[in-house]
Amino acid sequence: MENAIEVNDLTKHFGTLKAVDHVKFEVQSNEIFGLLGPNGAGKTTTIRMICGMLQPTSGTAIVAGHNVRHEPQEVKRRIGLVPDVSNLFGELSARVNLDFMGKLYGLDRKTRGRRIDEVLDLFQLKTRKHDRIRFYSKGMHRRLTIAAALLHEPQILIMDEPTSGLDAQTARLVREIILDINKQGRTILLTTHQIDEADRLVHRVGIIDQGHIIALDTPQNIKEKTQGTRALDIRILNELNPQRWIPLVAKVKRVDNAVLLGDRIRILSKDLSGIIPAVVETIIREGGRIEDISVSQPTLEDAFISLTGKTIREEALSKEEYVKRQMSRSGLR
Amino acid sequence: MKLPQSLLHSVYIAENDLRQSFKSVRHVVWSLLFPIFMMFTFSFRYGATGTDAQFINFLIPGIVGMTAMFGSINETMSIVWDRSLGVFDRILAAPVSSTSIIVGKTMSGAVMGVLSAVVLLMIGEAAFGIVFANIPAVILVILLASFSFTGLGTIISGLASEPREAMMLSNLLRFPMMFLGGVFFSVDAMPNPLPYVARALPLTYATEALRAVQASDPMTVAVDVVVLLIYMLGTMLVGSKILMRIMTR
Repeated sequence: MENAIEVNDLTKHFGTLKAVDHVKFEVQSNEIFGLLGPNGAGKTTTIRMICGMLQPTSGTAIVAGHNVRHEPQEVKRRIGLVPDVSNLFGELSARVNLDFMGKLYGLDRKTRGRRIDEVLDLFQLKTRKHDRIRFYSKGMHRRLTIAAALLHEPQILIMDEPTSGLDAQTARLVREIILDINKQGRTILLTTHQIDEADRLVHRVGIIDQGHIIALDTPQNIKEKTQGTRALDIRILNELNPQRWIPLVAKVKRVDNAVLLGDRIRILSKDLSGIIPAVVETIIREGGRIEDISVSQPTLEDAFISLTGKTIREEALSKEEYVKRQMSRSGLR
Repeated sequence: MKLPQSLLHSVYIAENDLRQSFKSVRHVVWSLLFPIFMMFTFSFRYGATGTDAQFINFLIPGIVGMTAMFGSINETMSIVWDRSLGVFDRILAAPVSSTSIIVGKTMSGAVMGVLSAVVLLMIGEAAFGIVFANIPAVILVILLASFSFTGLGTIISGLASEPREAMMLSNLLRFPMMFLGGVFFSVDAMPNPLPYVARALPLTYATEALRAVQASDPMTVAVDVVVLLIYMLGTMLVGSKILMRIMTR
């Protein structure tokens, strides 16, 4: 199958911070490909380079047959970008916003009119097309942002955290839209830090952590890499600081990984039946009372834990790293 | 006649910025209501002294120059707002060259400066009977001044990391310029070393040139126009370099 996107050793440094480090993957035509990783893993920086919005430090990307380093405008013509937040003009109506975008993509007046009607109809925004979009709900903003990205009928749609910050109902609607767009023959590259989203939506996934791709396969195959591994979830009664149990249970023999998921301790092991008595004994010995205990099959999240030794949820940035990132975003310091 | 695509992109960007600004209360207040308020406040204050006609003739050209400054600098604040709201990214993701974006942003700043100044000029004429005899010369001065202020605003918007910082920096520039740029008081009447400070500000040359047009003093107009031209080229060059650096990093 032909590749829609080929990413070759893409690297981006912000000062001494290596945001993306020799990332390499390809997205096949008509595929939904997901870049999965925690916040700050380098997903957005990678797609900004693929879209021609950020100069790579080294490496390159070929998008729809065009090199993003040498032909960024050709690349931009062939992709539609849906950013993680709505970035249209709040004081203007949906129609005026779309008209402006159509002009920037070189659509003539007749084509613009037709396409604006089509996308407004498709995303059920026709009745509110003359309202200023700052009065739109979050879900309407998201739909309009996707509509704007599809206006010029791009071959490839790139979506940064498409359901981030949306309520469950709107997130489900957006997922349905993504699947529909893909069925129409468009290639989709999306980033997400939500495991279940990657599991439900994408054909193949690249797991990215600290600027590196650490796994690249179908969600099913990645899950199978943890074959034989099973997960044990334990909730301790009236525990205000469940984090303190992690090092204790991690020390138990044959425990592969132990992490905190919300208020639950998740333990991964290939010999679950063998470790349960030892884990329970450790907890009781240390004064804990088990409220709930359950065993489950490994998920994509467990695969991520096995690969990185940590959960995919947002990690608190150190003060030093936060300052570095703020400085790199301001672009001048 | 069909414009080249890159220039068309600039026109679309400028048109879109102006459309957005005219719908924003913040812009209307700073670009029009504030100068109108200053015009009437100062005219009433000095109107009772008996030298009103002379003072009004001095005040209105100054207010027109000041309005160009407020209009242009306010408009360029859209750059930092666009950056913080991600709108800049939307334009960067489209097949539009960095040069087209810079030209578009400059056009909107200059147009806003000229439009605001012309509105104040018309209000000045209607309210105080001031007649601007040489309109082409007045427009030329306003245009050059507006481009200079747009360049200054672009530098601020490019250097600031977020809108509040840009507003603070722009106020730090606008308010001293308003009081030292010869709008309300003659530069010659200022105590030392203020005239030297005033001579470093583009607004001083704009107000002086507008008054010189009224007084039919072509020599002063010519000198001020040359200074404004140098100011315009310098600030726009530095502003463009800063924006280019942000866009191509």
